[in-house]
Amino acid sequence: MKADRSVSEINYPPGDLAIWIFILAELTVFAIFFAAYAFTRLQHVELFNEYQLTLDREAALINTLALITSSYFVVRAVSAIKVDDRRRCVYWLLAALCMGMLFLLVKSWEYVHHYSEGINLSSNIFYMFYLSLTFFHFMHVIMGMVILVAIAVMAARGKYSRQEHTGVESGASYWHMVDLVWLILFPLVYVMR
Amino acid sequence: MKRLSDFIGIRPCTLIYLLLISFSLATFLVGKLGFSGLGMSLLVLLLALIKGHLVGSYFMGLGGVRGVWRWPVFIWLFIPGILIGMAFYLSYQ
Amino acid sequence: MQYQSQAVAKPYFIAAIALFVAQVLFGLIMGLQYVVGDFLFPEIPFNVARMVHTNALIVWLLMAFMGASYYLVPEEAETELYSPGLATLMFWVFLGAAALTVVGYLLLSYSTLAEVTMNKLLPTMGREFLEQPTITKIGIVIVALAFLFNIGMTILRGRKTVINLVLLLGLTGLAVFFLFAFYNPENLVLDKYFWWWVVHLWVEGVWELILGAILAFVLVKTTGVDREVIEKWLYVIIAMTLITGIVGTGHHYYWIGTPEYWQWWGSIFSAMEPIPFFMMTVFAFNIVNKRRRDHPNKPAMLWALGTAVMAFLGAGVWGFLHTLSPVNYYTHGSQITAAHGHMAFYGAYVMINITIISYAMPLLRGRNAANPVKSQVWEMWSFWLMTIAMVFITLFLTGAGILQAYLQRMGENPQPFMVVQEQISLFYWLREIAGVIFLIGLVVYIASFFVGQNDPEATTAS
Repeated sequence: MKADRSVSEINYPPGDLAIWIFILAELTVFAIFFAAYAFTRLQHVELFNEYQLTLDREAALINTLALITSSYFVVRAVSAIKVDDRRRCVYWLLAALCMGMLFLLVKSWEYVHHYSEGINLSSNIFYMFYLSLTFFHFMHVIMGMVILVAIAVMAARGKYSRQEHTGVESGASYWHMVDLVWLILFPLVYVMR
Repeated sequence: MKRLSDFIGIRPCTLIYLLLISFSLATFLVGKLGFSGLGMSLLVLLLALIKGHLVGSYFMGLGGVRGVWRWPVFIWLFIPGILIGMAFYLSYQ
Repeated sequence: MQYQSQAVAKPYFIAAIALFVAQVLFGLIMGLQYVVGDFLFPEIPFNVARMVHTNALIVWLLMAFMGASYYLVPEEAETELYSPGLATLMFWVFLGAAALTVVGYLLLSYSTLAEVTMNKLLPTMGREFLEQPTITKIGIVIVALAFLFNIGMTILRGRKTVINLVLLLGLTGLAVFFLFAFYNPENLVLDKYFWWWVVHLWVEGVWELILGAILAFVLVKTTGVDREVIEKWLYVIIAMTLITGIVGTGHHYYWIGTPEYWQWWGSIFSAMEPIPFFMMTVFAFNIVNKRRRDHPNKPAMLWALGTAVMAFLGAGVWGFLHTLSPVNYYTHGSQITAAHGHMAFYGAYVMINITIISYAMPLLRGRNAANPVKSQVWEMWSFWLMTIAMVFITLFLTGAGILQAYLQRMGENPQPFMVVQEQISLFYWLREIAGVIFLIGLVVYIASFFVGQNDPEATTAS
């Protein structure tokens, strides 16, 4: 009981304060995008419902599982560094990166499919939103992976330890944000109708 | 959550992970089976918000933080959640 | 001054201030022409005054950026400048080109200027802010390349700090996007589309990186706060700047013939553009609060904090006012734009340049750390005079803009442009008065370089 209390005494989120301000700013952009989607849909319910069916839900499911899994791996990487296990920390980070890569491949495959059907941003308002939202998120996956690579390299070089692992926590927090956004995006764009 | 995971004998984060996976599968099934309608949409939305809250609290670790920093992700889920819910509610009026 | 070669910055700063004076004088001429239409006609018509006003601004900001880079890069890299001779040569080339261009604007008609400079061979003239003759543009490219080479070699040779790398990234972007000034498509939509790649991606993209780097440098020097802390903030600010600023270009693409999705992209992303500016404000005050020492150069600190606040207000808040496409539908090209332009340029780029000049000039003039107290007091007076005058210029223009948008575009019976201009002339008069106060502030600023020069240097205790 005593140990539990000391945990809840922490006033700061894991990682650096600067990355959290960044995360909040990013989340705000997505929140506005989501609300814009929902309220624009209100004006074009038929159109949104019709074109939503052309999306590939299986691909979206694979991507959801990929991101959740990679987020889980990142959690494990943070726990590993907290007990000074640098090797395992790097392995978990690499596993998370593989999952990120899977996401990028599946999503790219979807884009290629849309492109071959001649769909673009000007096709209609639904595709405008679908492509903008997912592509903006896609760029975040890439950015998150760059951050993960950076911390994996630093971890491999022994820059982090049980005492000092703010970098790992910061990168992990950013990656969870990428996952978090997708968890709302997936049902909103692919499923809810 | 900790007590439950101790009981099953897995880490809390693994338990959260399994929950997230099963919620996602449920969401997918709703889409796959072609369910639609206000009730279904709101249910799917609720599942998504719960997932988001689990990620915020357990993966991002905000559940163990005291003070203002405990809430940003929750608030982030709450406001768009309300807006999306409202927009879908209105689309059925 | 730690490195001899930093001295090349001095002429750049002096020329920048001289052009600043010219800019403000022509601004006042134009401001008067808003209400007294034939003032100085036909010697200096409105379009020429405007061209000189905006071009002088751009050139003096560029000049000060270069001066700032020549000053801070060697100190950050901990090595002498690669080639001080090249830097001095380029100064005279740049100044000569700028002077010739202004003389051309004032003495020749624009069409004659175009003919004389053989614009026909590679037409680039006639576009707002990019009015310079093609040969001047080519000159700018040469100066920019020589400058980048000089700075790049210095950085390669020395210590690579985050501040230097961000600055280099910003300066490279500045040079690269300027190349679109040479792309002049026949199609008017495409012309405007790429014109913004220079104009927008400069001021709402790469220039912000330069601003961030200079601000970080001055804060490192004056506060003694750990470099790591400052660098971390710099990373976050530039990432957010690029994310919002690049796609935010869309807020210039409403209803000019570009695809409709720009209305969404432009609105959503540019609505977020105030965030990096807000972060910059939080960052600056945070760092100053954590300061480990009290630097004797108080005006430099004042300008630095002033930049952080005024950039947020001018670029962030006044930008947000008219950035959403449904709002912009009514305010496009009205005095609201002018209000935003004035406060954003002053708050972000004029003030950051004065910040670095304020920090560096005493050192370049052989002082240990700061000017004598009297000089500092004058400089701080000039800060308040210019800044408050600019706030009023902005408020009066905003009033004019709101009224203009309403009378000309919204009411029951929209009125013609010139009729509306007549009705808002009171605001123009008030703006002109605020402009005169700005000029007084500028005179006080220049005087601060000359007063109390024989007094002892200010110390922390005073």
